[in-house]
Amino acid sequence: MASHLRCENVTVRFGGIVACNDVSLDVEAGKIVGLIGPNGAGKTTLFNVLSRFQDVDRGELYYREHRVGGKKPHEMISIGLARTFQNINLFRDQSTLDNILIGAHRLMGDPFGAIYSLPYARRREREVMQHATEIAELLNLSGELDQLARNLPYGSQKRVELARALASRPEIILLDEPVAGCNEEETAELRKVVQQINRELGITVLMVEHDMSMVMGVCDYIYVINFGANLAHGTPAEIRANPEVIRAYLGEADE
Amino acid sequence: MPLGSATGAMTHARTGAPPGGRAAVAALQQRFARQDVAAACLLFVVLLLLPVLPGVQGWMASQATLVIVYVIAAQGVALLVGYTGLVTVGHGGFLAIGAYTAALLTKHYGVDMLVAIVAGGVMAAAIGTVLGLIFLRLAGPFMAIGTLGFAFFVGTVVNNVTIFEGRDGISLMPTNTLFGQPVGDMGFYYVSVVALALVTLFLYSLLRSNVGRALRALRDAEKAAESSGVNRWFYRTLAFSFSACITGIAGALSGLAIHFVSAEVYGDIWYSVDMLVAVVVGGSSMMMGPFIGGLFVVMVPFFFEQLVDFASFLKGVVLFVVLVFAPAGVCELLARPVRALRARRIAALAQAPAAPVGPAVTAGR
Amino acid sequence: MFGQQVMSGLATGSLYALTAVAVVVVFRNTRTINLAQGDFSMMGAFFALILLKQFGFNYYAALLLAVLGVIVLGVLVERIVMRPIADSDWLTLFTATLGVYYILHGVAGWLWGRDTKAFPVTFNPAPVDLLGARVSEGHLINMAWAAAIGLVLYLFFRFTKQGIAMRAVTDDPETARLMGIPVRFVIMLTWGMAGFLAAFAGILTAPIIYVGPQMMDEVLVKGYVAAVFGGLYSIPGAVIGSLMIGVAENLAGGYLGSQYKTATAFAMIVALLTLRPKGLFGIQHRREI
Repeated sequence: MASHLRCENVTVRFGGIVACNDVSLDVEAGKIVGLIGPNGAGKTTLFNVLSRFQDVDRGELYYREHRVGGKKPHEMISIGLARTFQNINLFRDQSTLDNILIGAHRLMGDPFGAIYSLPYARRREREVMQHATEIAELLNLSGELDQLARNLPYGSQKRVELARALASRPEIILLDEPVAGCNEEETAELRKVVQQINRELGITVLMVEHDMSMVMGVCDYIYVINFGANLAHGTPAEIRANPEVIRAYLGEADE
Repeated sequence: MPLGSATGAMTHARTGAPPGGRAAVAALQQRFARQDVAAACLLFVVLLLLPVLPGVQGWMASQATLVIVYVIAAQGVALLVGYTGLVTVGHGGFLAIGAYTAALLTKHYGVDMLVAIVAGGVMAAAIGTVLGLIFLRLAGPFMAIGTLGFAFFVGTVVNNVTIFEGRDGISLMPTNTLFGQPVGDMGFYYVSVVALALVTLFLYSLLRSNVGRALRALRDAEKAAESSGVNRWFYRTLAFSFSACITGIAGALSGLAIHFVSAEVYGDIWYSVDMLVAVVVGGSSMMMGPFIGGLFVVMVPFFFEQLVDFASFLKGVVLFVVLVFAPAGVCELLARPVRALRARRIAALAQAPAAPVGPAVTAGR
Repeated sequence: MFGQQVMSGLATGSLYALTAVAVVVVFRNTRTINLAQGDFSMMGAFFALILLKQFGFNYYAALLLAVLGVIVLGVLVERIVMRPIADSDWLTLFTATLGVYYILHGVAGWLWGRDTKAFPVTFNPAPVDLLGARVSEGHLINMAWAAAIGLVLYLFFRFTKQGIAMRAVTDDPETARLMGIPVRFVIMLTWGMAGFLAAFAGILTAPIIYVGPQMMDEVLVKGYVAAVFGGLYSIPGAVIGSLMIGVAENLAGGYLGSQYKTATAFAMIVALLTLRPKGLFGIQHRREI
C-alpha cells in the first residue's frame, strides 16, 4: 500500500488557460496505473509536472512521501524516476545503442574518470554497455543496435524510447502514450513488455494512454481526468462502469 | 576477439558469407576506429616531417606554426559550437587571455614556455567557467551576442589598462625557453605540433567517452537528455571551460610564437568571428574540420595580401557556397562517402546471422 | 554640460535605433540575425555620396535614390542568399549574413577604396537652444528624421494591409500561411524594410563619422546590443535600448574618457543579460529560437 509517486492539489496555469485544476494522483508502488481522459484534458501537462518538466502554480509533489517539488528535471532519474515522451524524442542522429546508453547515464558515475579514460571508468563503461545490450535484447532490439535512430521503423523507435528509460534502472517509469500510432501486433508486444518489467523487475508504471485495450488490459488502477481536473479513479472495472467517465468520452465523440 | 574470429573463420569457410551479430559488428567498428586513428597519426607524421622536405624554408615554419595554433583555437570553438551546440562569437577573448597571461608571465617572471602555455590555458579556463555561469543561461542568439560582448570587453581592457600596453604591445625575447633550453622558430613549430597532438588526443578521449555522449544528447534533444539524467548546466559549463582552455592555450602559443602581444591583434573582435567561420566552413569534427577551416581562414588573407577586398569577397562567397552545399562543413562533405560505405558494411553485418558459439569452437581451438 | 551630453546622446541613440529596429524586424520574422545590416547602411551612404559628389544631385534626390537602391539590395539579398537556406537553423542563417557582410565589404573596398571619405554636411553646425540645453542643428534633424520614420513604421504596421500581414507572420507564420497571407512576399518586404531603415541610418550617420567600408561596424554592434534590450522582438524595446545606449555612452565618454564609450554598450548588455536573460521587455512569442 506504499505510495510511490503522488501529487496533491496540483494547479498549473498558462496565461489564462488552466491546464491542471486541483489535480491529485497517487501511484502505488509496484502497480501499473493508467491516466486517461479526452484529448486536451491536461494529461501531458500533469505528466510534465510529475517528471518535473513543469512547475506548478499550486500543489505538492511527493516521491515515496518525500517532497520533490523543487528538484530539477535531470535529478529525477537519480531518485529512480524515468519517463518517455509522447512524440518520440530520440537522438535521431545517434545509434540505437547510443540512445540506450544515454539512458544509462546515471550509472556511469563521475565524468572525470571517463574523460581521461581511466581504467575504472573503462570498466564501468563495459558493464553499462553489457547492461544496455541486455535491455535491447529484452525489447527485441538486438538486431538494430547499430542503426541510426532516425532510420528505424516507428514501432522500433517506440521500443528504443522505452529501452532508454529502462536503462537507468528506474524504480518507476512514466510512459507517455507508449502505443500511440502502433498497430495491433506492436501494441500486443508492448503490452507484454510493460507487464514483464512490472512483474519481473518490480518497476512501478504510470501510463498515459488512449488505447483502451492497453489501459484496461494492463492497469491495476486508473485515474480519469477531464478539463484538467480529477473526474474519477478506480479499478478498470469500476471505471468502465462509471457513468461520468462514459459521458465525458461520449460527449467528446458527439462534437 | 579471438573467439569471434575463430568461429568466424569456420562459418566463413562453410557458407562463404561473413558472419554477423553484435560481436562481429563491434569488431568491425573497432577496425574503423583504428583506421581513423591511423589516418590521424599519418597526418601528424606529415606535419612533423614537413620542415625537412625539400624546398621548405625557415620562414614557412613561422607561418605553419600560426596555422597550427589557429587550428587549436578552432578546435576549442568546435567543441562548443559543433559538439555542444552553443554558438560563440567571442572566443577571441580567450585567445587574448591566453596570450596576455603567457606574455606577462614570460616578460616579468621569465618563466619557462611550458609554464606560460599552461598558465594561459588555466587562466582562460577559469574566466571561461565564470563566463559560462553567466552566458549559458541565455538562449542561442542571446548567448552569441553576449559572447561577442565579452570579446569586445576584453578588447577594451587590453587597449586601456596599462599593464597590457595597449597597441604598443608587449615585446618578448626573440627566443623562448623550454625546460631551460632555448627554442627557435623551428623548435617552436614542433612544440605547436605536439600541442596540437595533445589537444586532439584529449578531445578524442573526451568525445568518445560518456561525457561526449552526454554533450551530443544535450545538443540533439535537450529535454530527452535531461529526462535521462544529464545535468544540462553541469555539462555545458564543463564544455565551455574546456573550450575556453583550449583556445587559451592557442592564444598563449600564438603570443609566444611571434614574440609580441598587442591590442591590435587580440583586441579585434573580428578574430572571434573568424574562428566561428573556420568551424562553420571546416566542420566541427575533432581535427579535420578545424584544420580545413583554419587553413581557409588563415590562408585566404595570406595569399591575397595585396587584394584585401578580393579576399573579403572570396571569403563571403565561399562561406555562402559551403552553407548551401555543405552545411555541416567541408569535412563532413568529404567524409560522407566513407561514412556511407562504413554504414552499409555495418548494416549488412548486423543483418547476417551471428556466428554460433558453442563446444564446436573450443574443439576447433 | 550634462544636458548637452544627454541631448547628443539621444540624437546618436535615435540613429542607433534605425539599425536596432531593422535587426528586430528581420529577426522576429525570419529568425535571422542579420550581420550585414551595417553594410546595407554603408552601401546607402556610398550610393548617396556618389550621387551627391559625382552626379551633382541635390540632397533629397540623392537620399531618395539611395534609399531605393538599398531597398533593392535588401530584397536581392533575401532572394539570392536567404531564400535557398530559409529552413536552416539560426546559425546557418547568421553565418550567411556574415558572408554577405564579407562580400559587401570586399565590393565596397574594391569599387570605392578602403580610405575614409567625408560626407557633405548639410546642416548648420551652430547650436540651437532647446529645453535649456544647447543642441546642434544636426542632432535635431537626425532626431526628427528618426521620429518621422518611426511614425511611418507605426502607421504602416497599424493601418496598412501589408503591415498587418507582417505582424501576422511575426506572430505565427504557419497560421498566417493557412490564412492565405503570402508569407514569401512578407519576408521580401521585411528585408526591403531592413534596407529602407539601413539607408537612412547610413546616410544620416555618414556626416557624423565618415564614409568607408568599415563605417557601420561599430554602429551595427551597438544596434544589436540595443535590439537585445527589446528581447530581439520588441520594437519599442529596441528604441528605448538605443536611446539608453546613446545617452550612457555619451555620459561615459564625457565623464570617464572617450576610450570607454564603446565599452559602455557592452557593459550594459552583459549586466542586462545577467539580470534578465530574456531582455528588458521579455518575449512572449511561441516560436523557439
